[in-house]
Amino acid sequence: MKISAFKKSYEGKWVLDFPGFELKDGNICAVIGSNGSGKSTIAKVLAGIVKADNRRLPVPNDISVGYMPQKSFAFRLSTISNIRLSGGSEEEALVLMKRLQIDHLARKRAKKMSGGETARMALARLLIRPYDLLILDEPTASMDIESTALTEEVVSEYCRNTGCTVLWVTHSLQQARRVAQQAIFMRNGCLCEAGEAEKLLFNPDKTETREFLEFYGI
Amino acid sequence: MKKIVVLLLALMMVIGMVACGAPAEPVAPDTPATPPASTDTPEVPDEVPETPDEPAKPLAPVVDTMILKEADDKMLNTYSVLAVNPDAPFTDADGNAVDGVAVNTEGAAALIYWLLSQETLDAAAEYGSEEYGNTLFYVKDDAPVYAGEIAPATEETKVIRLSTTTSVNDSGLLGAILPVFEAEYGYTVEVQSAGTGKAIAAAKYGNADLILVHSKSQEEAFVEGGFSYVLEGFEAERISFLYNYYVLCGPSADPAGVADAASVMDAFAAISEGEYTFISRGDKSGTHTKEISLWPEALGITAEADSFVDYTDWYISANTGMGACLVMAEEMGAYILTDKATFLTFVANEGVIG
Amino acid sequence: MQTAVERAFQLIVTGNAELVNILLVTARMSLCSSVIALIIGVPLGLLLGSARFKGRGVLLVINRTLMGMPPVVCGLLFYMLFSGVGPFGRFKLLFTVQLMVLAQVVLITPLVIGNMETYVSDISQTVRENARGLGLGRFKRFLLLANESVYQIFSAYLLAFARAIAEVGAVSMVGGAIAWKTNVMTTAIMQYTNRGDFSLGIALGIILLSVSLIVNVVISLLQRRLSR
Repeated sequence: MKISAFKKSYEGKWVLDFPGFELKDGNICAVIGSNGSGKSTIAKVLAGIVKADNRRLPVPNDISVGYMPQKSFAFRLSTISNIRLSGGSEEEALVLMKRLQIDHLARKRAKKMSGGETARMALARLLIRPYDLLILDEPTASMDIESTALTEEVVSEYCRNTGCTVLWVTHSLQQARRVAQQAIFMRNGCLCEAGEAEKLLFNPDKTETREFLEFYGI
Repeated sequence: MKKIVVLLLALMMVIGMVACGAPAEPVAPDTPATPPASTDTPEVPDEVPETPDEPAKPLAPVVDTMILKEADDKMLNTYSVLAVNPDAPFTDADGNAVDGVAVNTEGAAALIYWLLSQETLDAAAEYGSEEYGNTLFYVKDDAPVYAGEIAPATEETKVIRLSTTTSVNDSGLLGAILPVFEAEYGYTVEVQSAGTGKAIAAAKYGNADLILVHSKSQEEAFVEGGFSYVLEGFEAERISFLYNYYVLCGPSADPAGVADAASVMDAFAAISEGEYTFISRGDKSGTHTKEISLWPEALGITAEADSFVDYTDWYISANTGMGACLVMAEEMGAYILTDKATFLTFVANEGVIG
Repeated sequence: MQTAVERAFQLIVTGNAELVNILLVTARMSLCSSVIALIIGVPLGLLLGSARFKGRGVLLVINRTLMGMPPVVCGLLFYMLFSGVGPFGRFKLLFTVQLMVLAQVVLITPLVIGNMETYVSDISQTVRENARGLGLGRFKRFLLLANESVYQIFSAYLLAFARAIAEVGAVSMVGGAIAWKTNVMTTAIMQYTNRGDFSLGIALGIILLSVSLIVNVVISLLQRRLSR
């Protein structure tokens, strides 16, 4: 899947310059980089939440895109109604909830959930239906280790089963190594290096990438 | 937790209201109030049919303010009723002529005819004797009496808009007599009450079918402006039929000595010379218009605020209703001009701050 | 001499016919105007708070200016418009409860809009991102936003009702305080005050506050129950 080049600036101030990238279908691509390097902005532009400077969507128009924002939000409904917002039967929802270990909260008010539960609910809300491209912006930021592992497992499984391509924004190198087949390293609003995860996350070409990896103690 | 806060707030509110509503300490006058001795017997003017034969009732001790000067020919308070002319030169706020303003002439005529029937005039003259021990209005001797037919209400004419002054409305007269008219002829009379100035303005803006007011100069201006017309069977637009007296009231101690003044003009002169506190309505009402005419001309007091800027030490322009002004006068020990009906009501209610 | 509280109590216990009428007119007027203001104001507030479009800033400034419109000016405007000589005189609406409601709607709707806008602009970003991320359409997103704002809608209603029931400037102008027809609690209090009958004014004030308190408690309970 081809992501075309785009630029993004806020009120005349340039924040992101993305040269374009080819995502492999059915793969998970990790987006890594420091805070403020433009990771979330890529996610938002691809999801159509904010518009690129040329007002065009950088992904093909005919594909379906799912997006999980950094701040997961529980709508003022029951948990199961939250999950079924974009479709799916009650049975499907319950299966998915069971898989993510939130099935005991099905009839409870979604607002009452903890941060980690809300994030898993938000993930279930997306995974209830298939997408061509799924964009996850730090989905495990508010989760404990078990939930994080569970999430990684469920998303990888979803990828295999549906053939969906995933763009996974994360600040954790370990997570990127665990889930991704492709990786993009962002630095100061520019794409610094992109390619196979195997290569980029263990033996990168660029000095900046190497420094970043070293900084995180790898 | 929330409930407790709500309850606390409610409690505080009630306590506050109780505190506000607590009876004021009665103002005990040093000397028992004496009924106002009419020190001078006024010459009976031509237009005055007769001097009211009953003196004011002795004042209840809680009210210190008392009638000091009354029954002066200058103090006549004449009420007139005027039908609004449907073909009056109505203009909008910008002064552009407006056609086709709806005026319920039939309803207004019916009400005026009824007001001038012998029965109604008798009821008006009798009004107040039960409640206040004193009648509040007198019927003018030369008031036209109507004896003809009164048209009952039709679908188009059943709502009559009567614009009147607060003094008429507050006296309770209309509340006492109008239900009889409404029941007998099927009309609904919508009474709006305001100061004479505003009452007349309402009619000029096409919002009244008839007016019942008490300011000769303003009524004449209304007639001259073409806003009224002569009803069939009457001689003039302005039909004066009731009167009572304005009275000059003040603290029982009467520091300005107005009770001994030769005339009401002298009394007002005495107040201004001694700069004794005086409460003016200040709202272009009939009472206000009358008061302005009683000050020595040299002072130059008019309805405009500029005219009394030099007298603000003692001349208080309250800009509110008669009752509120009376309360103010009582509180401040000030002089005040009021219509007798409102004053008697005020006294009968013991100064009304309950 | 009675205290105002005693008089208030006496008025209620004896079921004074005029008081009952005043209460009914007051209830009819303030319920109608606050509900209409809510029906108009809530969608506009939601739109203004969530949508980003050119001219939004101008609309916000206009709305905030209208929020500060003196009631008596609003009343005067409607008085002139609906006077016999005014452009709408032929509708014969002056001194009717309908026109009082209309004037109040003009007065109150900006408050509802402003109140909703402040709340919605705070949450709309998150709601939009999450709803769009699910591929939900415009209409469904709007419904979700409204659903999120239920608690605030109740608050806005209470604000609207409080303003409607306590407002005197506009209703005394366009209503004329005609006994048995357009006299409401506030105008009656004004009348008694001008008459110098302060204690009756306070008695009515106590009743008005009590009615207000009851409405507030009921709506607050509903708010807690329905907005969870």
